[in-house]
Amino acid sequence: MEGQSWGKALENREWLKMLIFVKKMNRHILNNLLRQELIAPEDAGEIAQYEATKPFSLHWELKTLLYLGVLLINAGLGYLIYENIDSIGHAALIALIGAVSAGCFWYVVRRRQPFSRGEVESPTPYYDYILLLGCLTFLLMEGYWQYQYGIFGTRYGLATFIPMVLFFGLAYRFDHRGVLSLGITALASWLGVTVTPRDLLSQNDFNSQTIVQTGVFLGALLTAVPFLCERWEFKKHFSPTYLNFGVHILMVSCLAGMMALDHPVIYFPLLCCAVGFFTWYASSRASFYFLTVAVLYGYIGTTWLIFRYSPSFDFTFYLFYFIVSCAGIIFFLTNHKRFFKTQTP
Amino acid sequence: MIAYNHKWLDALLTKDAAREWHKKGLLSDEKWQTIQEQHPSNFYSPNVFIRIGLAIFCMILLFAALGLAFLFMEPDSSTSAALFSLFWGTVWIVLLESWAIRSARHFGSGIDDMLLYAGASLIIGSLWNLLPYDSEPLMYCCIAWPFLLAAGIRYGDRLAAAATYCCALLIVLLVVNKIPKLALYLLPFAGMAFSAAAWFFARNGQRRYHWRHWSGGLAVVELLTLVSFYASGNYWVVQQAGLELFGLEQAPLAWFFWAFTFAVPALYIFLGLRRKDRFMLDIGLGCVAAMVFTYRYYFHVMPLAWAAATGGAVLLATAYFSIRYLRKNAGAYTYDAGTEKSLLQEAEVQVIAHTVGGQTTAVPVKKDTFGGGQFGGGGASGEF
Repeated sequence: MEGQSWGKALENREWLKMLIFVKKMNRHILNNLLRQELIAPEDAGEIAQYEATKPFSLHWELKTLLYLGVLLINAGLGYLIYENIDSIGHAALIALIGAVSAGCFWYVVRRRQPFSRGEVESPTPYYDYILLLGCLTFLLMEGYWQYQYGIFGTRYGLATFIPMVLFFGLAYRFDHRGVLSLGITALASWLGVTVTPRDLLSQNDFNSQTIVQTGVFLGALLTAVPFLCERWEFKKHFSPTYLNFGVHILMVSCLAGMMALDHPVIYFPLLCCAVGFFTWYASSRASFYFLTVAVLYGYIGTTWLIFRYSPSFDFTFYLFYFIVSCAGIIFFLTNHKRFFKTQTP
Repeated sequence: MIAYNHKWLDALLTKDAAREWHKKGLLSDEKWQTIQEQHPSNFYSPNVFIRIGLAIFCMILLFAALGLAFLFMEPDSSTSAALFSLFWGTVWIVLLESWAIRSARHFGSGIDDMLLYAGASLIIGSLWNLLPYDSEPLMYCCIAWPFLLAAGIRYGDRLAAAATYCCALLIVLLVVNKIPKLALYLLPFAGMAFSAAAWFFARNGQRRYHWRHWSGGLAVVELLTLVSFYASGNYWVVQQAGLELFGLEQAPLAWFFWAFTFAVPALYIFLGLRRKDRFMLDIGLGCVAAMVFTYRYYFHVMPLAWAAATGGAVLLATAYFSIRYLRKNAGAYTYDAGTEKSLLQEAEVQVIAHTVGGQTTAVPVKKDTFGGGQFGGGGASGEF
């Protein structure tokens, strides 16, 4: 599945169907179409047959259960060692966790599909979840070893480097985008930044120059990777994952450089470049997610800059600024197709 | 009744149904083309992300406009402040009607949503502001309800429908709470009875062809009635409410509410599968979680960590065997995904990135900082 497909799916109003789930109306619609002679009677018979015998899909319910199961097992095991770290039973516990992890990886290797440069269909419905459970329990075990025995000593970089290599390898070999995002977070923590979308703002000390610079570098790197992959036709469907991390890390780092480090001379042009780049990307791929995100970050940066360097505090001026700027952005967003005439439909 | 052009709304419904038939190969390409041409809809309904962006910027704009008006008009007493917000609420509703819907043809664009919410909350807030200081909550609800209902009917808005239902439920409970002596016994049953009545209303409403433009709002109400029905009889809710309102440690009829706590989730799942009712099934699954939490709140059968791990294993096993069964026995139920596959797949990847992604980051930098974060993981570390 290409990365844009979900954007397309959203555009086709499929999300409405997903939210409503009701299809009782369809009989009336069918009758109307028959009356307008837009549907042949024999087609209508088939459609009525389909509507009546349409199977009830339990797909997403069961997938949610699988995912919750993986999360609960991981959280439960993690909490178990955390509680029992100094008691006698912890050796048995760690053996249990190791067994779970090894079992998961064994299953994954045994049922593997041949490697492909494109997207690979999972061999079984549980395959992806088992792989995820294996990776998560591996992390638990590794953290325990480091804590208890200090196997990496003071080379803390190694403690994040090993899972990073492992996760990237697994993600590419077994084609798993969830493990890929685990790998990306490991890469970032190896470089020294916390990058989960949720923790991006809360757990980083953006006052530090190194962190901001690392963030900019990492964001640019993650943004560049998909383009190389697309050129080499190598796992193109990983692009949205990379770009999603890339856009947020890059923009937040630029904003931090402007606000916390107070270096707008360097970081504001950088932010402008990033916003321009993602707007271009969004328009060339018709990806509205990146358009909205880029506009939001750009607006935050510009607003901060104007308020920071406006000569005096004037409340009326600020209100006027908000009214005019928001009206402008609303005009831009509602007419964005007009601004990108070159785009291919 | 509905503010939007109803021919276009009909066209959207028709195209949605026909698109599915076309995808399933029941309609030829030419037929699908003609259906699209014969059912034009000229709404401006942008992609959901653009909608979110438009809503955010529209909200800032409305706040700034209100602030500017406030600076110039300077309402000084509470009455004049109420009149001020009543005036601006009306202005925004008029703007929504005459500009956003009529001339700019917006439908679910973020701008019409935001104008409606801002206008309605300003109008309701201004009327609340006129109430005497010591008014009861019931008064507030009774004032808000007609406006919420009107918003739900006039614009077919889901959030307004949900708010209308919650407000109505609150009115019923607050009225019942006033009955002397019997309130304690009547409250849970009033909640159940009202939820059940509203459920029948919402379900039958969705079947009515004449109410087709409100089916989205009614679906949301149906979902909420299932939740509120279970909540009315759940032992934890009843016990906590009894403690809070009447100072009772032990709720009366405890055996009944315990039975209710366990029976209703099972009933929901059974009926949901039997009647192929996705809402009932999904809420039923959620209620099972509520049931487990309720039980664990009163009886500590197992340490939290073991409970989570075994619970996870049970979930995994249940899902595993269900999927195996469904794949071997084709029939009325299936594991095959419907048409929404691509979108939900993406949502799933996002969820994974948000929930478990954080684990890798907390690998210890210093030995003594090793703690909660490493073993955290998602969800389950909260209160049991």
